[in-house]
Amino acid sequence: MTRVVLVPGALALLPEYAGIDDPVRNLRHACQTAVSWLGRDAEVLADDQGARVGQHLLDVTTRSVEQASYLVVANGSARRTEKAPGHLDDRSFAFDDQLREWLHGRGDPPDQALGQELLASTTGFSLMAERVAPWGSPVVDFDDDPFGVQYWVMRWEVP
Amino acid sequence: MTLRLGRHEFADDATLMMAIVNRTPDSFYDQGATWAEEAAFERVALVAEQGAEIVDIGGIKAAPGVEIDEAEERSRVVDFVARVRAAYPSLVISVDTWRASVGEAACAAGADVLNDAWGGADPELVDVAAAHGAAIICTHTGGVTPRTRPYRIEYDDVVRAAIDDTVAYAERAVAAGVARESVVIDPAHDFGKNTFHSLEITRRLGEMVATGWPVLVSLSNKDFVGETLDLPVGSRLTGTLAATAVCALAGARIYRVHEVVETRQTVDMVWTIAGRRPPLRAIRGLQ
Repeated sequence: MTRVVLVPGALALLPEYAGIDDPVRNLRHACQTAVSWLGRDAEVLADDQGARVGQHLLDVTTRSVEQASYLVVANGSARRTEKAPGHLDDRSFAFDDQLREWLHGRGDPPDQALGQELLASTTGFSLMAERVAPWGSPVVDFDDDPFGVQYWVMRWEVP
Repeated sequence: MTLRLGRHEFADDATLMMAIVNRTPDSFYDQGATWAEEAAFERVALVAEQGAEIVDIGGIKAAPGVEIDEAEERSRVVDFVARVRAAYPSLVISVDTWRASVGEAACAAGADVLNDAWGGADPELVDVAAAHGAAIICTHTGGVTPRTRPYRIEYDDVVRAAIDDTVAYAERAVAAGVARESVVIDPAHDFGKNTFHSLEITRRLGEMVATGWPVLVSLSNKDFVGETLDLPVGSRLTGTLAATAVCALAGARIYRVHEVVETRQTVDMVWTIAGRRPPLRAIRGLQ
C-alpha cells in the first residue's frame, strides 16, 4: 500500500514567514498531523514553490514507518472571495467542487486552463494523477477557504 | 545580556515601556493630574492595562520650584510604592529619585529600579541599589545641580560626554555591587542640554547603544520636541513618536513615556522594520 497526503502550498506555512501569532494554526496542525502519517522517505509531488512547503513539513515531522509515500502539495482556487488574492471569481465554486469530487475518486479533473485563471496550484494534482491513480475516498482532515483560497488536507492509502 | 530589573527578568531583545506616574502637584505635562493618591493609583491601573512593563513613580518634578525635602518626598512615594507592589506583583516599579535615603525606603517598600535622573548627584544611591538587588538608571546631566535648567551649557561633543559619563557611572555602580545586568544608561534628553544637544543625542543614539549597556530614552513631550516643532505641551505627541522611532531604530531598550499605547505601537513597528521582531500576524500574499 502507498500512503498519499495532500496539503496546500500556503507560504504562510514556511518558517521564514512566521509572525508572532500564527494565522494558519489549524491548517498547520492538520498538515503536520497528516504528514506524520507518511513513510520515512516520502516523495514530494509539487511545483517548485510547493516543494519548499512540502520539504518543510517533512523536516518538522517525525515519520517512522517504512512505506512508499507521496506528499502532494496543491490547492484549489485563490479567487473565492472579494478579499481573496485574486479577487472573487464565481467560477471558483464549481471548479473546486469538481476538484473535490475528483479527489474523492469520482469523475474527471476540472479544466486546467480555468485552474490557471483561478490561480489554483494544480501541478501537484497532475503529478498525483500520473503517479498515484486510481484512488478512492480520502480521509479529510481540512476542507476550508479561510483566506479565499481553497485548502484541503487529505489522506489516502492506495494499492 | 538578560536585563534584570529587581525581581523581574527580560530577554535581551525585549523593549520595555516605562510609564510615568507623577506624585506631584506641578509636573510639566499633567499639572498635578495624578497628585492625589487615588488618581495616581488609577494611572497605574491604566498603564498596566495598556501593557506597560514598568511604572516610574516620582515625587518631585524635574523643573525648579518649591523645595521638596526628604521627608516630603518619602511621604509622596514610599507608601505608594508599597501599595502598587501589593496590587501589581508582576509590574516593575521604578522610583525617580536622586536621594539615597528615599531610594532606601522605596526599595524596602518594593521598588525594583532606582531611576537617578540627576546623574549621580547622591553618590550613595548605587550602594542602596546594590544592597537591595535593585537596578539603577545612570543618566547624563552634564554635572548640573538637580532641578536646574540648562544655561549656556556647551560640550565639545555631547554624545561623547554622555557616553563617557554614563558608562563611568555604570562601572561605578557595578563596582559598588549592582549586578551588571541591572544597569541601564540614559542620555537624558533636555537634562543639562539645549535642544541642539538633545537632537544630536537622538541622531547619534546608536553610539550609546554600541557601548553594550542597555539604553533608556526619556523623550516624552519634552522641550526639545516642543522647540523643534514650536508646539506647546499637549501638542507634542507626533514629534515625540518621531524621536521615539529614531531611537528605536538605533536600538534603545526602555522608553519612559506618558502615552503607553502609542509608544508601544511605534517601537514595535520600528523594531519589526529593523528585523528584531516578527510581524504580529502576517498572511498578505502568503495564503
